[in-house]
This record gives sequence, structure tokens and C-alpha cells, in this order.
Amino acid sequence: MSDAKQPQNTDRRDFLLKLGAGAGFVAITAQAGASLRSLVPNVTYDAPTTVKVGPPGEFPDGLKFLPDQRLFVFRNGKTFHAISAVCTHLGCTVRAEALSRAEEQTIDGQPLRLTHRFMCPCHGSRYGGDGTNVSGPAPKPLAWYRLSVSPDDGQLVADLADEVDHSFRLTLP
Amino acid sequence: MRLPFTRRAAAGETSPGVHPQPLWSYRPQSDREAGDAVVSNLLLHWFPSKVYKPSLAWNYSAWLGTISGALFFLLVLSGLPLMFLYVPSVERAYQSVKDIEYVVTFGWWIRAVHRIGAHLMVVAVVLHLARVFFTGAYKNGVGQGQQREWNWVIGVVMLLLTLFLSFTGYLLPWDQLAFWAVTVGTNIASAVPGIGPRIRELLIGGRAIEQATLIRFYVLHIIVLPGALGGLFAYHMWRIRKDGGLARADAAALAPDAKDTGPVPTKTYTLLGVARGTSPAVTARSPEAPDQTVNAVPDLTRRALIVILGTFALVSILASAIPSPLEEPANALITPNPAKAPWYFLWLQEIVTDTTIRLGSLTINGAFLGGVILPGLLVGLLTVWPWLDKSAVSTAGLWFPRSRRRQNLLFILAMLFILAFTFVGMFMRGPYWNLYWPWETWPGIPGRI
Repeated sequence: MSDAKQPQNTDRRDFLLKLGAGAGFVAITAQAGASLRSLVPNVTYDAPTTVKVGPPGEFPDGLKFLPDQRLFVFRNGKTFHAISAVCTHLGCTVRAEALSRAEEQTIDGQPLRLTHRFMCPCHGSRYGGDGTNVSGPAPKPLAWYRLSVSPDDGQLVADLADEVDHSFRLTLP
Repeated sequence: MRLPFTRRAAAGETSPGVHPQPLWSYRPQSDREAGDAVVSNLLLHWFPSKVYKPSLAWNYSAWLGTISGALFFLLVLSGLPLMFLYVPSVERAYQSVKDIEYVVTFGWWIRAVHRIGAHLMVVAVVLHLARVFFTGAYKNGVGQGQQREWNWVIGVVMLLLTLFLSFTGYLLPWDQLAFWAVTVGTNIASAVPGIGPRIRELLIGGRAIEQATLIRFYVLHIIVLPGALGGLFAYHMWRIRKDGGLARADAAALAPDAKDTGPVPTKTYTLLGVARGTSPAVTARSPEAPDQTVNAVPDLTRRALIVILGTFALVSILASAIPSPLEEPANALITPNPAKAPWYFLWLQEIVTDTTIRLGSLTINGAFLGGVILPGLLVGLLTVWPWLDKSAVSTAGLWFPRSRRRQNLLFILAMLFILAFTFVGMFMRGPYWNLYWPWETWPGIPGRI
């Protein structure tokens, strides 16, 4: 009789052992997973991407650097455009250097007065006056962002989430 | 020197291998006492009771592993007071480091010890790796169950942990140096196609380098990474014991004049008290022979102490002489010009500068090629090298053997390559990452945008 019971006992013991080990494994994996998941941010408190940058009249002819937005805003009379100062290689802030002589060029079918060029202090990328990468490790041109005029108070608004092509201009009436 | 609570067992009081009471001495009078010292002392327990004499030679290992371990210990020690003083918040981190440097009594010295120790640890670990490579010490010899190649892999992981520890520590002062090093470092991670931006987000806890980043790097720096490194260190040490000590001992056993010694009483059984009376007879190869081995206490312990104390002394003196820099507070608006990585990452900074490739309309960012692929390949190659190295086992434990000449040359070339890039990055890069001769003065940089 005991002989007949033996395998059954072993089966049950074996099953319980596996059940226990399996439950332990599942518990540890789930808890580790939960702990790791908690490290993935659900909310990021980023700075807003649509920013009022001031009345157009306060912008000088030529270039104004907005450090908080890491943005260059260019003005040529009544037309404005904005180029990002974030290097496309590894994200350092590029610096603008005034050209000794401003050049007139046609870029994407639109005339553009080039007054500066941009250079990155981290890895030596260089960009032309319209943000095109000229030399160094930068893989693509500096981003251009949309500018608009705020309907409520007439301030210039930069939209850092809206990349535009190089023919974009904001022309004030 | 004899501790007051230890005394020599009286003759006839005990059977061999049985310890009536703690008994150990810094200056053992017999082999038996020397062995007892190792077995009954927790700190000494990671040593064997007998060691192969040439393994202790200064000019074989240069004791670089011990130096690395001593530096790690020193970094933990000097990190403790710093943890009491440092505040991991973006508003206060910089001020607290400034206080450590200028206000806290001896704060500057503790910080300098921590900083110099970290720099030296990178050097020591790399040199240790080079030593093990040049002597082929990742090869398995005559012992049973040896897995030296896996200990090499552990070692490579420990090197990466050391570098990552340095990198995370680098951020904590929250100065300009820190901020931009982390900007560049984490942007390299985001250059991985597809998942890159998510990796970066996980690393810095958001999309911008902010409080979440600082606390992440802080916890990694003080708990996660040192814990992992400490655990691997223990395993690294244990494997050395399991693998029969340094590779050099194997080389001696393989030497043509190695002979079986005939039955010798092995220390292990008697010391552990497994056997009473007559020792079990075990045959040993010649390295185990009495004339080639010495007692770990004091021969090994004395040298280890000299190395550890020497390391501590060197760091203390250097820390007193070399001030630790602290740049301006972190400013997300202004990138320093030039912005340089710490010296051990300069070769990488140099590589990411030079590896953007344009094939027609396709552009591969140097950040990915030079920052991810190339170092990844290098580390991968380093990891699997023991399995690629087909040279004879008899070359293990020898410096620059003829049959390993080609791979040693390759390793030296790779090292020189990295050193050359480091040199260029360190001394020949000026504003806008332009090339200058080391003796050239940099031009003034107009304005600050």
C-alpha cells in the first residue's frame, strides 16, 4: 500500500515545491518590475514650448540671443526668423559670431540676409548663417522654429515644438 | 606583536587541526601558526595559507589589483564624510560643495582625497587590466575548475563600473564642468537609433537635466554602483582563490622541471580540522613544494600592507598638494568654450568629434558611431578576448611571451591610440574645439553668446 502511494506523494511534493518556487519567482520579478517602472517618469515638468519672447519692437536689427529658450531671433526690418542654438550633434549651446560683412543669399527661394555664423564649443561643429551645418560632426542643420505674434498683447511668440523650413519668415505689417 | 587575548596553545593541549581558542599572531613562529592566522582571522581569510613565492614579486603584478582595491576602500572611506556634508539638490549642491571646499575644516582635503583617489583608481584599474592582458593571466592552467576567463569578464565590468562611478561623481558639484559633461554624455545615449531618447529620459529622469537627474546620479553614485562594484570585487577575489592564485603559479607547475612531490600533508584539511591525527596524503605539483611557497602570513600580508599604506600615503600627499577645481555654478544657458570632458573620457570626446560620416544623403551622427558603436565594439572585443586568444597555456603568467607578441602589440597600439586622442583632447583643443599646438596661446573669445 505504501508503495502505491509513494509516487503520488512525490508528485504532490514536487508540485508544491515548483508552485512555491514559481510563486517566489513571480513575486520577485513583479516587485523588481514595479520598482524599475517607478523610475520611468510619467510626468516631466518641462519648460513650456510656446513662449512669449517680448514685443517685436524690442528686438534689434540683426540678432538677439534668448538664453532661456536657447534661441537666436533675427530681425531684418519687418521680417523675423528664429534659429535654435542647440547643436544637433550633442546638444551644447552654439555661439554666434558676427560676420565681418553681411551677405545676401537666396535660401529655399527666399532672400535672407546672413549676418552671423554659429560655432559649437563642445566638438567644433560649424554652421552657416542660415543654420546649415558646414563642418565638424554636426549631422544636420540647426532647427528653425515658428514665430508668430500673440493676438492679445502683440508680443513675439516662439513655438519651440514647431520646426519650420528655411523659407519661413514672419513679416509684420 | 601578539594580541593580549591570544596565547599559544600549550604542548599536548590539542589535537592537530583543532582550535581550542582563537589563536593568531602577526608574527607567527611556525607554519602552523601562520596557517592558523589566516584561518581564524576574518580579514585574512580571503588569503590562502600558503602562496607561491614568485606570485608576490613586485615586478610581476606590480600589485595593481591591490592598489585598485585600496583606492576603492579609500573612496568609500572619504565618501562617508562627504555624504554628511553634501546636499543633492540643484539649489544647494553647488553651495554645499563650495562649503566643503572653503568652510568645513579639512573639507578641502577630504574632497581632494576623494577626487585624486578616483582619478588614480581609473589609472590603476586600467593598468591592472593591461597587466593581466600582457601576462595572459586570463588563461586557465593546470588547476581544476579554473574559470579565469570569467574573472577577466568580471574585471572588464568592474572597469566600466569604475568609469561610470567617476562619471556620476563628476555631476554632483553641479558646476559648469558637471552640467555640460552630463549634457554631452547623456546625449550620446540618446544617439542610439530608436530607443536612444527613452534611454536618456530614463537616465536623467525627464527631458532636461534637472533635479531628477541629480538625485538619480547621486543614488547611483553612493549606493547602486559602489554596491555592485563591492559585490563584484568580492567575487573577483573569491575566483582568484578558486582559480589557484595568480596565473604565474600555473606557469611554474607547467615548467618542464615541475615534478610531483609525492605525498605531502595539505594544509587545508588539517587546518579546517577535518582530519585528526595523521594528515590525509595528497600529491602536489612542485609549486606546492615547501621551497617554492611561503606563508601568506606574514609574507603576503606584509607586502599587501605596504601597498595599501603606500597608496593611502600617496593619495594623502597628492591631495594636500593638488587643489580640487570648482567651476562656476551650472548654467544651462551658457556652454563653456571649450567644454572638455574629464581626461579619461577625452578620447571619446575626440572620437565623437571625428566620426560623423556622410554617405550621400545619409548622415551617421558621430555621437552614435563614435560614442556608442566604437566604444561598444572595443569593450565587446575586450570581453571576449580570452576566447579569441589561442596562444599556448604555458604563456600564462609571463610578461610579453614571444607567441603572444602580435596580440600584445595590438593591445599596445590600441592603448597608444587612446592615449594620443586623450593628449590631443587635453592639450591641443582650444575654443570652438579648434586645434592648437600645446604651446600656442588661445585667441580671446569675443563676447558671451
